[in-house]
Amino acid sequence: MSEPLSKIPNGTRYYFAREARTRRSVEQIVMSVFDGWSYEEITTPTVDYYSLFEHGMGRSQAHRAFRFTDTDGRLLALRPDVTSGVARAAVTIFADRDRPLRLCYAAPVFRQQPQSHVEWRRESTQTGCELIGSNTSVADMEVLAVASEILQNLGLGHNYQITVNDVGIFKGIATHQSLDEVSRDEMRQLVDSRNAADLERFLAQHGFAPEDRCALTQLTRLSGKRETLERARRLIPNAGSREALDRLDSLWSMIESLDLADRFEIDLGDVARLDYYTGLTFNIYVNGAAARIGNGGRYDGLTAAFGKAEPAVGFVLDLDALTTVLLGLDVDTRLPKESERQMALVTNSDPTLLFCEARKKRAEGERVLIKL
Amino acid sequence: MQKLTIAVAKGRLQTEALDLLARAGLSVSSEMLASRRLAVEDESGRFRFIFVKPGDVPVYVEHGIADCGVVGRDVLLESEADVLQPLTLGIGRCRMVVAAPSDMPLSGYRVLRVATKYPRVTARHFGLRGLSVEIIPLSGSVEVAPLLGLADCIVDLVETGRTLRDNGLVIVEVIAESTARLVINRASYQLKAEAVAHLIDSLSEIVAQGDVISSETTP
Repeated sequence: MSEPLSKIPNGTRYYFAREARTRRSVEQIVMSVFDGWSYEEITTPTVDYYSLFEHGMGRSQAHRAFRFTDTDGRLLALRPDVTSGVARAAVTIFADRDRPLRLCYAAPVFRQQPQSHVEWRRESTQTGCELIGSNTSVADMEVLAVASEILQNLGLGHNYQITVNDVGIFKGIATHQSLDEVSRDEMRQLVDSRNAADLERFLAQHGFAPEDRCALTQLTRLSGKRETLERARRLIPNAGSREALDRLDSLWSMIESLDLADRFEIDLGDVARLDYYTGLTFNIYVNGAAARIGNGGRYDGLTAAFGKAEPAVGFVLDLDALTTVLLGLDVDTRLPKESERQMALVTNSDPTLLFCEARKKRAEGERVLIKL
Repeated sequence: MQKLTIAVAKGRLQTEALDLLARAGLSVSSEMLASRRLAVEDESGRFRFIFVKPGDVPVYVEHGIADCGVVGRDVLLESEADVLQPLTLGIGRCRMVVAAPSDMPLSGYRVLRVATKYPRVTARHFGLRGLSVEIIPLSGSVEVAPLLGLADCIVDLVETGRTLRDNGLVIVEVIAESTARLVINRASYQLKAEAVAHLIDSLSEIVAQGDVISSETTP
């Protein structure tokens, strides 16, 4: 049976006119902020070895990629993320460069299986940055400051919220108990979906001590400003978690001193990707989008797979989701105004005169439309 | 505080859910309820309710059209929606079970035919035990399938067990206990944090008063 040629694959779409222009402008604004903070642009290959992503993203994420084989039989993939390629470049072609290394990118990524029912697209444009070679909380603050300037510059200054957490807090309690990988992930999911009822049952079944059970179930509801840290300190007794709390505390102090506390929130229940992140994690939400439009954090284990372990922190924004939000929100964005898009109609029966006239107007910077 | 939209599952759960919400201070006038409108405001004007099919509640919430929802755990298990579930409400108690004619052995190498409205839960349940099953998705009256020879057994929701008995079926296994949950959209949880926290707090107070003992089991 033949398919109609009009069909386009699930999870793909066209961008046209105003949408396409907006998307390009968003990309330009984002990239100019990165440039303003001295991040160098890098483009990674669209087609790469599957093993790169398996090491860079973890198997559970990498298996969502479109896969196919090279002429020698090795498994290739359409790039499902950019970070993996950047990490490999950092420890190979940039091995001799001074640290820290600041890199940024904007490129389409491809995923055969969409993330959730809301994130349905299988091709989407990611833009993001990586700060490699520094493990300080100042480096953490730098990427948060970059992210917040981007949102500000897009005109979303009053419409965004960034939630921060340190995965060390959860890991400190969870590694207390010897759980296999499947159970560990089940527990993580229960915390991540704030499912205190099922979590309580899970913890009882797996023989957690009463004080850890109490701490973990409370963790699912611990979010807010500075008081969240105080509440967490009273609840969480073990040393590993305390250390992570201290890190988050010093980061929060910086956020407060920069007058950003309004736009930031601590959310200790955010444990979306524990295998990946090693310290700070954050999610970016904007009014008008039903799911987060960006996320990031510290992944000090990232480059180890490619030969040399280096501390790294970074984030990624979903450029297409941002575009959709900006087109739908009634805010004063810094995007070019549609009303300024007028054109000069050029008409002449003599082709030479017609094009002379058109080129003259073009040289004057006008937008011309030739009457055919 | 920001206005919240709450999706409520129509049918089995609706009356109990509205009663619970009313006790938490979110009441809808009786004229509103008597009307056939599927989107109504509560008396304070701070909440909007939308009444949709149970299976659609997670869809509206995940897409952020509704900030919150009230829906059974059975529906959430099947939908695999990425939503937050901070509160068990203790209403709409039922069980998701495997039921079969009493003389039917469910072990061995044979491929079982299972009729159900819950294909994902069914696949997960039998898959975990390494059994191969042929899943026959139906949209209703599942209990009649074994009787007519369409399936060997069924996976379905049971409240009293009467329908099962009347159709010659017995419960072979309980997959999960289910009660209603409050679910919340991930972005709303952050962007409307104050209103959402207030709703969770006032509902959990009512649930605690009702002394609802959660006795659900994990599948």
